[in-house]
Amino acid sequence: MTDRFAYPPDREARNAARVRALEALLIAKGVITNQTVDKVMQTFATEMGPFNGAKLVARAWTDDAFKALLVTDTMAAVAQLGLPTGAAGAEGEHMRAVANTPQVHNLIICTLCSCYPWPVLGLPPYWYKDPSFRARAAREPRAVLKEFGLDVDPAKEIRTWDSSAQIRWFVVPERPDGSQGLSEDELAELVTPEAMMGVAVALPKAA
Amino acid sequence: MKLQHTLGGLEGLDPVQPELRVFVEPWEERIFGIHTAMMALSPQLNLPQTSSTFRTVWSWADLRKGAEAMNPFDYFKYRYYEKWLGGISGYFVANGYITQAELDARTDEYLADPAKSLPSGGTSEVDDRIHKYLIDGDSPWHQWADKPRFSVGDTVLVADPPTVEHTRLPGYLRNKVGVIETVYDDAFSYLCSTGPDGIGPAMPVYCVKFDPQHLWPGNAEPGFFIYADLFDAYVRPVADQTAA
Repeated sequence: MTDRFAYPPDREARNAARVRALEALLIAKGVITNQTVDKVMQTFATEMGPFNGAKLVARAWTDDAFKALLVTDTMAAVAQLGLPTGAAGAEGEHMRAVANTPQVHNLIICTLCSCYPWPVLGLPPYWYKDPSFRARAAREPRAVLKEFGLDVDPAKEIRTWDSSAQIRWFVVPERPDGSQGLSEDELAELVTPEAMMGVAVALPKAA
Repeated sequence: MKLQHTLGGLEGLDPVQPELRVFVEPWEERIFGIHTAMMALSPQLNLPQTSSTFRTVWSWADLRKGAEAMNPFDYFKYRYYEKWLGGISGYFVANGYITQAELDARTDEYLADPAKSLPSGGTSEVDDRIHKYLIDGDSPWHQWADKPRFSVGDTVLVADPPTVEHTRLPGYLRNKVGVIETVYDDAFSYLCSTGPDGIGPAMPVYCVKFDPQHLWPGNAEPGFFIYADLFDAYVRPVADQTAA
């Protein structure tokens, strides 16, 4: 009998204890400090995260010239917006944005691992790292998007972008109907990580 | 052929799990932070020296090599950060930073008393360097004087190099024909040499457009195209198809 598919009953407790043991040993041996992990997480909470991407998209929705720059020279657009330092940092040194239109819906995937534009989107959600998503989005994106609750018009072309080299991708979703009159900050609140990866669209705020 | 290299297009899998969280267990943040620190403290980077005792190179390539070396059943069995925990723990043991015995002993201690505190120690310049790495990044961009071999609109054939421990060529594209969509400016290096797979030194990179009906004839959804960024080493003129 093989136990390959069996998990130990204390799976998560064991994982938690193992990583805490590793962290403790690395601190004791001078590899990292007792603040290292917390400080890394702090950077992703304040400087590198989807709040940056949302600002880029909101500006693109209100400024056509900025939107044109965002899709032709993404890094120049990022530099223009005065985002926190780090907006062109690790895993986002070379980014490329693609814009949804009434004719085209874009979807970002990484079939080899989980490449994700850290500075503007932060860290990848679990769905992005899921092997089923990564495998299936390459061959049947409409079926996959339907499972996310997104029904893409059959008349629309889908473009799936597989992040296989050093370029990191994100999507500029379409501005939702019913968002007239909102400020740029209010618009940014409508932009989710899922919309910026193409498994959702931006929706007007629920009344 | 490795499953991990050929995931794109695989059939018979489950519905996707629209799990929006980045971390589904609190411990997962800790292994993510350790991985990021290892990358930032790797000595080949042009960053300030610190008191950290980390003396070996760790990059995404090392993490990916570990995942690509896994038994494919285990690859599906373990959750994303479980794979990281296994790979990173193994690396610290293999490189002599810690022993398996002390890791096991400490694990038992924390299993018995999960609230037991972490030791304190370290100096702030270590964490400053890690922050600087995150903020500055580690660009793989290089100036490139030569004209790239291909231009936008060229029809190209994807190479089929030997399968080695690590690649950035999605397996579903091997031996397939596509059209150059973008020739990126200048050149990009990769984090390590992949040997006979062909990448590592700076080279041009192309975004190539593929017709899914050509990749999976009669077995792909209509009405979409798939694009991939491919290093120059992975791209051939179409004439090579008959020669091969």
